Amino acid sequence: MATVAVPQLSGYHRPAVLDWIMTVDHKRLGILYLYFTLFFFAVGGILALLVRTQLAVADNSFVGNDAYNQIFTMHASAMLFLFIIPVWAGFGNYLVPLQIGAADMAFPRINALSFWMLPPAGILMFAGFIVDGGAADGGWTAYSPLAQQTGVGMDMWIIAVIVLGMSSTIGAANFLVTMFRMRAPGMTMFRMPIFCWTMLVTALLQLLATPVLAAALVMLFIDRNYGGQFFDPNGGGNVVLWQNVFWFYSHPAVYIMILPGMGIVSEILPVFSRKPLFGYKAFVFATIGIGGLGFSVWAHHMFTTGSVLLPFFGFMTFMIGVPTGVKIFNWLGTLWGGSISFPTPMLFAIGFVSMFLIGGINGTYSAAVPVDFALHDTYFVVAHIHYVLFGGSVFAVFGGLYYWFPKIWGRQLNERLGKLHFVLMFVGFNVAFFPMHMLGLDGMPRRIAVYADSAGWEALNMLSTGGAFLIAVSMIPFLIAVVMAFMRPKDQPDDPWEANTLEWATTSPPPDYNFDSLPPVRSERPLFDARHGDEAH
Amino acid sequence: MLGMPLRRRLRLFVATVTAALLALLATGTASAIQPRGITDEAHLMNDLFWIVTIAGLVVFGLVGAALVYAMIRYRRQNDELPPQFHGGGKIEAAMVGVPVLIVIGLFTISMIILVQIDDKAQDEALTIDVTGFQFSWQFAYNLNDLGTNTDPNAEGTIAVIGTPANDPILYMPVDEPVEFLLKSNDVIHSFYVKDFLYKLDLIPGRVNSFTVTARETGDFSAQCAELCGTNHALMRFTVRVVERDEFDAWVAAEAARQLGDGALVSTSGTQGD
Amino acid sequence: MAAHGTAERQGMTNSMLGFILFLASEVMFFGGLFAAYFIARADAPAWPPPLTPEQIAEGVHLELEVLLPAISTGILVLSSVTMQYAVWQIQKGNQGGMLWGLFISLALGIVFLAAQLYDYTQLHFRADDTIYGTTFYTLTGFHGAHVAGGALFIAVVTVRALGGQFTAENHEAVEASSMYWHFVDVVWIALFTVLYIIK
Ligand code: HEA
Ligand code: HEA
Ligand code: CUA
Ligand SMILES: [Cu+2]
Repeated sequence: MATVAVPQLSGYHRPAVLDWIMTVDHKRLGILYLYFTLFFFAVGGILALLVRTQLAVADNSFVGNDAYNQIFTMHASAMLFLFIIPVWAGFGNYLVPLQIGAADMAFPRINALSFWMLPPAGILMFAGFIVDGGAADGGWTAYSPLAQQTGVGMDMWIIAVIVLGMSSTIGAANFLVTMFRMRAPGMTMFRMPIFCWTMLVTALLQLLATPVLAAALVMLFIDRNYGGQFFDPNGGGNVVLWQNVFWFYSHPAVYIMILPGMGIVSEILPVFSRKPLFGYKAFVFATIGIGGLGFSVWAHHMFTTGSVLLPFFGFMTFMIGVPTGVKIFNWLGTLWGGSISFPTPMLFAIGFVSMFLIGGINGTYSAAVPVDFALHDTYFVVAHIHYVLFGGSVFAVFGGLYYWFPKIWGRQLNERLGKLHFVLMFVGFNVAFFPMHMLGLDGMPRRIAVYADSAGWEALNMLSTGGAFLIAVSMIPFLIAVVMAFMRPKDQPDDPWEANTLEWATTSPPPDYNFDSLPPVRSERPLFDARHGDEAH
Repeated sequence: MLGMPLRRRLRLFVATVTAALLALLATGTASAIQPRGITDEAHLMNDLFWIVTIAGLVVFGLVGAALVYAMIRYRRQNDELPPQFHGGGKIEAAMVGVPVLIVIGLFTISMIILVQIDDKAQDEALTIDVTGFQFSWQFAYNLNDLGTNTDPNAEGTIAVIGTPANDPILYMPVDEPVEFLLKSNDVIHSFYVKDFLYKLDLIPGRVNSFTVTARETGDFSAQCAELCGTNHALMRFTVRVVERDEFDAWVAAEAARQLGDGALVSTSGTQGD
Repeated sequence: MAAHGTAERQGMTNSMLGFILFLASEVMFFGGLFAAYFIARADAPAWPPPLTPEQIAEGVHLELEVLLPAISTGILVLSSVTMQYAVWQIQKGNQGGMLWGLFISLALGIVFLAAQLYDYTQLHFRADDTIYGTTFYTLTGFHGAHVAGGALFIAVVTVRALGGQFTAENHEAVEASSMYWHFVDVVWIALFTVLYIIK
């Protein structure tokens, strides 16, 4: 393109695809993570639509009971293991080195390895649908002994989840080393952007909790294939053992699924309120507190097994509301007294705060043990899951996409379409999931393929299904906005939002080694300092 | 609406959404009134439910109101940089203190109620052996253990066994404690009666038990609440709470049918042995 | 360009920190298996669990001989010492001493594995004979696999040491392999105590 003599590597050019496959660059890997995970969001979403279609009317026979169990199991498996957990690795890959002023992750090759473990695992898990006996159908929680009865699809699921767990464990070690040791001069731990802090705690949780899941899955695999008796009472084994080990991982895992989203929200809110995050340190300590407490509440998923210490786990579960409440107040304090504008990323961030608030409060219902006796395994819990994971995590994913799109791809997503996307999604989300509270209170158990007409659950289910399809429709403006953006030239300035953190100090998209020069880092908002000087503090 | 300035449109939008949410919440809680529960234990749990709901609504209302207020009051009006405060000790202490108080309060109340619900069965309570299997239920009554008010003690058990096509009916008397012993030999099931506002798992290798005292007669639908395989959704049953005489009559009829005429001498007050 | 960011801090290198984190995850993996063992054992009405008549007829009995494993334990502990000796030697720049340390550790590791395999052939129960057999083979099997991995690690380090790759300043791989070896050693001591001693 340029006619002046630019020093270039002459001769052989690898095809672009190979470039992507061979890359060890954190930004490209981050983008690959995003593509991969968004693909599985769509897959998981389509499975959810099948679930909703089946449940729309009473006594439906759209899918059979067997197929239904596979569908919701794979819906959750895709959403959790192939979408939400790795999507944060995607954002983290792209952003952490940029935000701390590093040239790349600590171990670029291992980073590539972490990513490339995902596609085979995803394929293996979904290949269950074409084998005899079908895909895994024991729920994403794979409770034993049920998980020992089903076909080879369950073994494929186990292996896939082990591989995904390994990917996230080594990825976590990589993030930790990167953040501990690759920070730019002046970037002390307490000047790291909040998103980095949430990634740090997430990585710690992954490093320490995921191996326990691997141990649980190994035991299940041994029971299934080598006559093991871990979970078989006839051989002296213990059925509830599975649940203990599984939830020891899977409760911390729910914070693995939300903390980086909270980090994203904490990046967006200050920028569009034009104020610093209120109580930065409190936020950091709250994050660490959630991570720590997260290891002591696992049995709140087992209140109705009759074999856990109810008072202890009830108390610890309640306590998690405290550090989480701190965060809610951090966000409110950030908005308070600000100068707030509402571009699309901000809408998603505020959507997150309000919907996660509901999800947190309805989680607290289950912390009150006697209330959980009624609500456990009903649609009330399904409502909780989706208020925290969709109203929380997914809103943060989209907020982050709109926010960093200009940085990652050098183009802006259309604002009108973005707002339309948000409104449809917000409304669709509430219509889909709010009625589930009522269904749960009215006694509708989760994981049922059919319900009787006489149960009186049809109207609310129909409403919920409508909401689910509205969510699907809301993806249309998003996809149009993406296509439109990609048809435009890369015209974004370095810092379109007047943001605070280092990734906005470089070009959009950033060059191979990220920075030509770094501004001095004297606070957690180096770009703000550069713009306004130090007197504005 | 399109002609309005952005700010007003925004405000309208926010107001509409808040209103819609609050309306939803109100209906949600209103419909929660419906399953009040039919047992003493359920009534306790229902009280707790309302306490938690009120606490939750207060937290949601305050935080939600603050959020909406901030969005409207502090929306961007000019290019001036707002004051840059980073937070302060006192506010941050309150951020921790108030939730801690709420949490301790809620926890204490739930433990008090938990202890009351967990009151162990008196020995004389009627005992029903519940066995879950893929995919139905068996309810067994030991004729020797029919509860306080029964005279005719006799050997043997009577059982009701269901099939997925034919839901079983669980008979129990009103106004007296009934103990359930829960067992399973295949996978985990969960004994869930909506109108007890209670469920407890049936776990292979162990026996779980709980006791309730029903206060209303009638038919109450119930079903398995733990995923247990293909026909988990069809593992339904009915709880039929009846007056004591009716219960005794049913036992007598079943005993006669299942064990032969001599099994139970009488159900109407004559001493059995 | 590379002036920022990549500047490594004082103290240990990135790879060493990464390795330590990896070890932490390994600890949690074994922690999960151990926890399973303890829960199962605490909950079992009897330990070892009762056998069925068929199992007894087949000659199954749930007993462990302590002598050979006790010797194995000694061997593994000794190999930890020799491994540490190798590290100390190379810290002083003594390549010859390090090589001896590595060789002996490797040999002892292999002896341990052989003894373990021999011990397996002497047992009168299999992995499917009650939770006792299952936990025994799972715990010792995963440990054995880690010993084999550690031995491989030491072998690679030994080959590199033969090539003269390590000096007093530069011997990270030796330290890493020794840490790994101590780790499998500690896991074994825990296993030995739990499986063989606490009856
Ligand atoms: C992102 C994921 C995520 C997050 C963040 C959470 C957060 C919480 N969860 Fe949730 N949970 C899930 C994902 C998540 N959960 C999933 C997937 C399941 C189902 C698994 C399955 O079975 O398939 C589940 C199930 C689940 C159960 C088991 C229910 C059952 O099966 O019976 C319980 C029980 O206690 C629970 C509790 C909580 C609590 C107390 C929090 C807390 O962290 C929430 C804290 C937040 C707040 C409380 C709001 C903000 C606070 C304030 C404004 C301060 C003031 C408030 C008070 C003082 C109360 N969750
Ligand atoms: C991140 C986690 C996550 C997310 C995002 C969702 C999203 C959704 N979930 Fe899911 N869900 C879970 C996690 C999640 N869920 C978990 C953990 C369970 C428990 C499972 C178990 O019991 O084991 C569960 C269970 C669950 C149930 C209960 C099933 C049962 O118990 O029987 C239901 C029922 O309605 C449901 C519905 C939905 C719906 C309608 C959505 C919708 O919001 C989905 C919206 C998305 C889309 C509609 C996709 C949009 C994309 C397209 C339309 C394609 C566009 C094409 C291209 C881009 C190529 N979910
Ligand atoms: Cu039995 Cu579900
Ligand atoms: Cu949990």
